[in-house]
Amino acid sequence: MKVLGQSRRRFGEQERFMLLLITPAALLMALFQVLPIAIGANASFRDWALNNPKKTWVGLSHYIDVITDPAFLQVVLPNTFLFMAVSVAGALAIGLCLALVLNRGFRGQKLVQTMLLLPLMVAPVIAAIMMRWMFNDQFGIVNVVLEAIGIEGQPWMAQRWSAFGVILLTDIWLWTPWFMLLLLAGLQSLPKEPFEAAAIDGTTSWRVFRYLTLPMLRPVIVVCVVIRSIDAFRTFDIVWTLTGGGPARSTELFSLYAYVHAFLNLDFGKGSAAAIVGAVIILVVGLLLYRLMDRVMKV
Amino acid sequence: MKWFKTSIIKTWVVACAAGISLTAGAAMAQDKELRIGYQPNPIQDASIAMMEKWGAKNGVKITKIPNSYGVYVEKMTASLTSNSDQYDVIWHNDDWGQLWAHLLEPTDDIESLKYADKWGMAGIIFNNAQGQNTVVPMGQTFGVFYYRTDLVSESELPRTLDDLVKISKKLQAEGKVKFGYVGGMAMNHTWFTWFWSMWSNNCDVLLPVFERANAKLAANNWKSALEEPCMRQAAEFWWDAINTHKISPRGMPAYDRNEANAVFMAGDAAFTVGDSVYWATFNDPAKSKVAGKVNITFFPLGPNRNEPMAWNDIWGWAIPKSVPAERKALAKRMLSDMMLDEEGQRELWKRTGAPPPNKELWDKIAKDDVFMQQLKKFNLDVTNKVRSAYYFEKWPGVHKAFSDAVIKAVTGSREDIPKALAAGASLVTNAAK
Repeated sequence: MKVLGQSRRRFGEQERFMLLLITPAALLMALFQVLPIAIGANASFRDWALNNPKKTWVGLSHYIDVITDPAFLQVVLPNTFLFMAVSVAGALAIGLCLALVLNRGFRGQKLVQTMLLLPLMVAPVIAAIMMRWMFNDQFGIVNVVLEAIGIEGQPWMAQRWSAFGVILLTDIWLWTPWFMLLLLAGLQSLPKEPFEAAAIDGTTSWRVFRYLTLPMLRPVIVVCVVIRSIDAFRTFDIVWTLTGGGPARSTELFSLYAYVHAFLNLDFGKGSAAAIVGAVIILVVGLLLYRLMDRVMKV
Repeated sequence: MKWFKTSIIKTWVVACAAGISLTAGAAMAQDKELRIGYQPNPIQDASIAMMEKWGAKNGVKITKIPNSYGVYVEKMTASLTSNSDQYDVIWHNDDWGQLWAHLLEPTDDIESLKYADKWGMAGIIFNNAQGQNTVVPMGQTFGVFYYRTDLVSESELPRTLDDLVKISKKLQAEGKVKFGYVGGMAMNHTWFTWFWSMWSNNCDVLLPVFERANAKLAANNWKSALEEPCMRQAAEFWWDAINTHKISPRGMPAYDRNEANAVFMAGDAAFTVGDSVYWATFNDPAKSKVAGKVNITFFPLGPNRNEPMAWNDIWGWAIPKSVPAERKALAKRMLSDMMLDEEGQRELWKRTGAPPPNKELWDKIAKDDVFMQQLKKFNLDVTNKVRSAYYFEKWPGVHKAFSDAVIKAVTGSREDIPKALAAGASLVTNAAK
């Protein structure tokens, strides 16, 4: 009774009501997010083959295997960060250009805006299958066009950098509308007065963009970049569908590395260790990006 | 308000009662139901059609639970290791024989298994640690060497890999076809280029060549054959086929079987290796430009081999250990009866081109079926057949390491082939240990 009384003193009626409201969501999150992470973390210290989980304690051996694996250090991590940087930068640049165009307002603007949003409605796996056939060296439209203008068709998916380029192109195509939409909303919320003053002063469009639009839009850009960078780090579906990490692991990203160990080799212990190493890396990267965001916001 | 609360309570009571009665009803009906975990595929669909026919005759409801091929092994493994009561019968394959052997019900007591092909049912593949068999076959699957009858006559067929290059180049020079050979090359389509050319050259993934006894492979420290001269010959053959002779598409290292089959069915290649069950697809005028112009023959041989090579596996059904005893018995009765269902197995053959599970039917079918005669000649009756996988738990990782190494070799420069194979050799061995 005493404990109940103390608890009632600690939480007012309003707080108790709020707790009641968030309890279902918290329970679901605990069941489907926290518990699997805990099971995965436990598995990462054990000999846990998916088909024959002996569950004997192996300490840090899976972690040591992962962080000393030359493929992880020399291929997977560089690929992942390269993918993250180019994909986010590419989608941001194109999304910003499109948002600036749409912000000007023109006839048919709503129609163009709706069409530009279409990639957001396409499932990544569908987009990847579509791209794979578009870049097929025998039947793909890309080689047909190249050959029509006298350029030799390429075996896009059989070479490291062209395959990586197709992956980036697919990801940028999928994510550009997301950047465009958020940046357009940001642009439309900017105050009119500074732009009117600049127009009266006869400032060039580039200087308006460089010294007014970009600084005022910076908080929106930074939030978009942070969210999207974290998301890009765990990209799996389009890479798995387009190249499966090939040819010969040359386009393998971190998420594929963890997946192959856990579900292809059925080594759930090592796969979990890889996933946790990745989680630590993205945690550090995320914190750095948040700090950067904080600094930019203050500026 | 009071009325509102009462009505909510009543609703809950009714819902709970309905739920309980439904659960109880389902539990009562379970004795007369068998749930089949499978992957939609012509052979499995035809085999399940036999199950449904059996179910209708015996008053057993057959419930089909399809699973995607891409996640089948991991999903079924999770189901088997968690002892869930989700499936009574599951699709089983030679590649996973040793992954699941300890999780499956022994099937030695199914009497009609005596009619199954002994090669495909070998203990090394499907037996558990106690030496008990764990599978019942649904049909035979294997790769065959297809050629275009409108381009190559029987007397001109390639007997060796060198012949394959010469004939392909001749056909290309005459403008008759775009490519000589096309086949899947990317991971998990290794059989359609790497494996057949390697086995045809007396080579293999691990040493000793063609050994499948795990104890002997372990005694040899799971040594990879990647650094053997025979493997270098195989890698150089494909490198030259793609880059020097240009008899195969440059994009082939990334091809899966669907892409390779598409090139062949478009009429752009003279030869391919594909599953025998694609016979019907290749000859379907609605899907294939080469319909009616396709036949099969022996695999061309490499310089180290002079006798025909073939492999031949079964796809099968298995019963999870966790299934209650009554349903295990029912499932076994169904699978046993299917082995005796001649009409159903003939239908399976007609729909798929897969030799049926009862070996006694092979000769009967061959009496009036030319394609079965061909399959017997070029595959089923070939002596010294090769086992098309390895049968230890780490095989998926070894297969991936092997595939990565050979694809790296064929996509790099020709001089770097030995280096790429040597680098892959230690990865293959480590993956096996």
